[in-house]
Amino acid sequence: MMDKYKFVSNKKTTGYGMRTKIANAIIYVILTVLSIIWLFPLVWLILQSFREEPGAYTPYILPKGYTLNNYIKLFTETKLFNYPRWFMNTFVVAIFSCIVSTLLVLGTSYTFSRLRFKARKPMMNVALILGMFPGFMSMIAVYHILKSFGLQQSLVSLVIVYSGGSALGYYISKGFFDTIPKALDEAAIIDGATKSQVFWKITLPLSKPIITYTVLTSFIGPWVDFIFVSVIMKDNYQNYTIALGLYQMITRENIYNYFTQFCAGAVIIAIPITILFIMMQKYYVEGVTGGSVKG
Amino acid sequence: MEDINVSKDITNGRTLFFNALKKGNLVTKLSFIVMGLGCILRGQIVKGLIFLAIQVGFIAYISNTGWYYLSNLSTLGKSAQYKVWNEELQIYDYIQGDNSMLILLFGVITVFICLAMIVVYAKSVIEGYKCELLRNAGKKPTTFIEDVKNLFDKNFHKTLLTLPVIGVVVTVIMPLLFMILMAFTNFDKTHQPPGKLFTWVGLENFRNLFSSDAKISGTFGKILIWTFIWAVFATFTNYIFGMILAIIINKKGIKFKGFWRTMFVLTIAVPQFVTLMLMQRMFQDVGPVNIILQRLGLISEPIQFLTNGTNARIFVILVNMWVGIPYTMLITSGILMNIPEDLYESAKIDGAGPVTAFMKITLPYMLFVTTPYLITQFVGNINNFNVIYLLTGGGPATLDYYQAGQTDLLVTWLYKLTVNEQNYSLGSTIGIIVFLISAVFSLIAYNRSASVQKEDTFQ
Amino acid sequence: MLKKSKKAVALVLTAAMASALVAGCGKKDNKDNNNSGNGDKQKTKVTLKVWGAQEEQEILAEMIKSFKEANPDKEYDISLGVVSEADAKTKVLEDPSAAADVFAFANDQIWDLYNADALYEITRNKDKVIAANTEGSIEAATIDGKLYAYPMTADNGYFLYYDKSVISDEDAKTLDGILAAADKAGKQVVMDVSNGWYIASFFLGAGCTLSVKDGKQVCDFNNDKGLKAAEAIKAFTAHKAFKTGDDPYITGGMGDTIAAAVSGTWNAEAIQQKLGDNFAATKLPTFTAGGEQIQMGSFAGYKLVGVNSQTKSPVDAMDFAEWITNEQNQLLRFQKRKIGPSNIKVAESDEVKKNVVLAALAEQSKFAVSQKDVLGSYWAPAEAFGLAMESKDYSKSLQELLDEMVAQIQQ
Repeated sequence: MMDKYKFVSNKKTTGYGMRTKIANAIIYVILTVLSIIWLFPLVWLILQSFREEPGAYTPYILPKGYTLNNYIKLFTETKLFNYPRWFMNTFVVAIFSCIVSTLLVLGTSYTFSRLRFKARKPMMNVALILGMFPGFMSMIAVYHILKSFGLQQSLVSLVIVYSGGSALGYYISKGFFDTIPKALDEAAIIDGATKSQVFWKITLPLSKPIITYTVLTSFIGPWVDFIFVSVIMKDNYQNYTIALGLYQMITRENIYNYFTQFCAGAVIIAIPITILFIMMQKYYVEGVTGGSVKG
Repeated sequence: MEDINVSKDITNGRTLFFNALKKGNLVTKLSFIVMGLGCILRGQIVKGLIFLAIQVGFIAYISNTGWYYLSNLSTLGKSAQYKVWNEELQIYDYIQGDNSMLILLFGVITVFICLAMIVVYAKSVIEGYKCELLRNAGKKPTTFIEDVKNLFDKNFHKTLLTLPVIGVVVTVIMPLLFMILMAFTNFDKTHQPPGKLFTWVGLENFRNLFSSDAKISGTFGKILIWTFIWAVFATFTNYIFGMILAIIINKKGIKFKGFWRTMFVLTIAVPQFVTLMLMQRMFQDVGPVNIILQRLGLISEPIQFLTNGTNARIFVILVNMWVGIPYTMLITSGILMNIPEDLYESAKIDGAGPVTAFMKITLPYMLFVTTPYLITQFVGNINNFNVIYLLTGGGPATLDYYQAGQTDLLVTWLYKLTVNEQNYSLGSTIGIIVFLISAVFSLIAYNRSASVQKEDTFQ
Repeated sequence: MLKKSKKAVALVLTAAMASALVAGCGKKDNKDNNNSGNGDKQKTKVTLKVWGAQEEQEILAEMIKSFKEANPDKEYDISLGVVSEADAKTKVLEDPSAAADVFAFANDQIWDLYNADALYEITRNKDKVIAANTEGSIEAATIDGKLYAYPMTADNGYFLYYDKSVISDEDAKTLDGILAAADKAGKQVVMDVSNGWYIASFFLGAGCTLSVKDGKQVCDFNNDKGLKAAEAIKAFTAHKAFKTGDDPYITGGMGDTIAAAVSGTWNAEAIQQKLGDNFAATKLPTFTAGGEQIQMGSFAGYKLVGVNSQTKSPVDAMDFAEWITNEQNQLLRFQKRKIGPSNIKVAESDEVKKNVVLAALAEQSKFAVSQKDVLGSYWAPAEAFGLAMESKDYSKSLQELLDEMVAQIQQ
């Protein structure tokens, strides 16, 4: 059915004219308005991070004085809050759990999507419902299990905690793999490839958008979690990740003096994540002309 | 490849096992005691040695620590920590006792290990027997190298799944079992190790939850209803609007697609606990939003975003949209890209407008691919601890509920119960009920959905 | 088909395996873990782990140094960990064997720690410790007549801050006076009424009680004394000048829009910055109930230092805990951090008496009730009641609300 219209797709967008231009203009307006709404809290956050006067509450919006001190102090006053060290901790943990998670998730979703074996359906169902338990009570169990391996209070244990259960999130990637036609696989197998080679050499390169999504979400995890790391790290202050560390700044005793620094710290967290996303942008701009269905 | 030529007996595990018992020769029978023996002596040396090593390891484990936990599992400990007066030093000596929590946890793990061991044991016997049968049929059993090669082709699924399964078992399943079993104990504030033991109480917690107090069960019912309403709204608003947003960014003729997407992704980049805390500060009765609105003369009294029950409920749904739409936009964008452009072209030729194209092409395609995602999002929202807890703390508090506020979900309620009262057993009980509801719903929805039924035909 | 040698190998292996199984099962069971304290005298090296709040880390480091100098006969290896006093109980109970030997905690956690048998009973120099610290602090650290922790600070209470330029000292004595003065100047009086901690001041002042019986909370806030208090709360929250707010709101608006607020020592510095010369602090005022003036009560909170019952060096741990809470170090803590001491001599010293904030706290503490007997079930219902008052939700009668609140608290 596709063949009939293949010549049509080369026809450029003539005949659109005014209607499209107006439609596009409206869309630009909508996007701008939405962006403003979405970014408003972030702008406020950034304003707070440059605020000179201390305190967590101000009856006015724009700061009275602007300063870079909050950012500078994060990196220089490390006795109480060792921001640079926490930043590195989180960065390292994020990279490793990102790699491990992505491998695990992609491997699992590919298996469920492409390969057929006896336990497949039951496993998929089990994986689906395993994620439905409120997780925080099992943290204590995870802590003790890790302790019996001698891994407590270490960054390695964090990586394990963050990426261990990642395979349970297979459904999104699997949905994506399902849309890749089987014809590709079959052709390759006829040419003598093993299933392993099909996975690495054919399917994965076609899955860039979904890899992007997986990498991005698993990278973000360690930056924003403070519950798990609180249980695992306990008092190992130097090994805190950034979310837990920042949380210390807004305790009752500290909030007055450190709130603006807290905001600064939060802004800095956003930087690596945004950079990562911008880098992966180009993988998104793919497949508009037919996705993975190439010749 | 050799398997195909041998008799059908080989395909059924259980039959194999009992046949090994009945029909195997001496070596196979000895495999029942020394794991892997059959394989070693028949040419699958490496595989057999692996089995043997497992057996040794298992015995070592049980004799060292496993036995302690197993034997105490039924009672969860017999004597707690106690103290003895030490005259010489004028202090008490604290003598360690049994720690019920650790016994429960490691007892469960040990049971699990034992069960796994039984499976491995059976496998070792079966493998040995298979070798014997192959030999008898005059064929050679697969060598180790061949087995490894199979792992990358025929049995590739096993290779790909090994690590994930281990990860899931250790970090998810074990703790989960632990948590489930906790609901059948009386682990609460007055039964805290190491000073006190706790023990099994069967279904008492469940009975208490439903019968003991009108307030508690009334609260349970009301919170359950709100949890559902919240989950429905939260999931669908995010999904629909995220998709629409993705579509309009994706539309041909819109420039700077990457720029627009980045704008929205920026909100994901800042941690939720920061943004939600900000939202809470911004919208409090004396917060900036109210101040601006008052200065602009739009309102005279501050709007009670967070302190009025109904307002708070609407507010959390709106804020959740702010939080979640960037995510759904990302996902739907990726999938949108994959919809073949030709479909749209042909639709246009047939004279369909954008809305029809959306309804007939985009929506069905998206729903097909993302139904599992939707279901999981729905269930995830039932358990969406973060947004509710960080934004309103479950409040505003009200005396109509037992220890709960008007935006509390079942999860946040149970968190408060466990943290405030250290009533872990009650918390587990509620957790199990939440889980049962979610699981039943998703299993039904998932398995009936088009995604699964038409899985293979879509391609 | 098998060669004879192979068969022999098989049989030998089997026999070996069987005997291993038998031997394994017969092995011992529980290891004998005798955590005795003796052996410390011969040991020259002692390792201790100490948990303190982040703000305390510097002084704790100093105290560690001075402790080592004062005890040169043993070699100490003392490491510091950061765990806030509020989190101490949770962290300790999560894994007592991995917790610190010495840790600081807020006194309302003592029941839970005691029930879990996580606190080492203090028996060394017990009488000395009891004599040196204020009665309230000792009571907070005592359960069943036995001492379970060393009092460290008597600082966790609240009182009144006010702007001298708006509210005179005379006005500040009564709640009505404060409200009137603030109203005249168009400013606010702030108290976080929808917070069980603060709202209790009305009830406790009126004579209601919170106690623990059989592990459950007993609360009589709905008797007629409680009703009087509730009416006062209603009048207070309905007043034009009343505003509810949390700490950041108070420290942000003090002096500008706020003339008086109820808060504690942790905000002293910030409020002093804002008010400058107009800074004043005193005990809580009296409120009008049933025609008479009733003094507002409050909760008295203490920070205590406990010894982990699973510590390997109990004698040294106790000595160290005693050291960081002794007179000299409580004085040091006051000098460096302006923390109110629980040590009697330090509290009576001129330096401490001169501190306006601590003086206010000390005065208020005469009317303060220990927080020890407040269980977790108290907070949410109290907050709900306060919230109803703040939002002026009078759909139910006060007595009804009180009854509901008490019913939930006593669950």
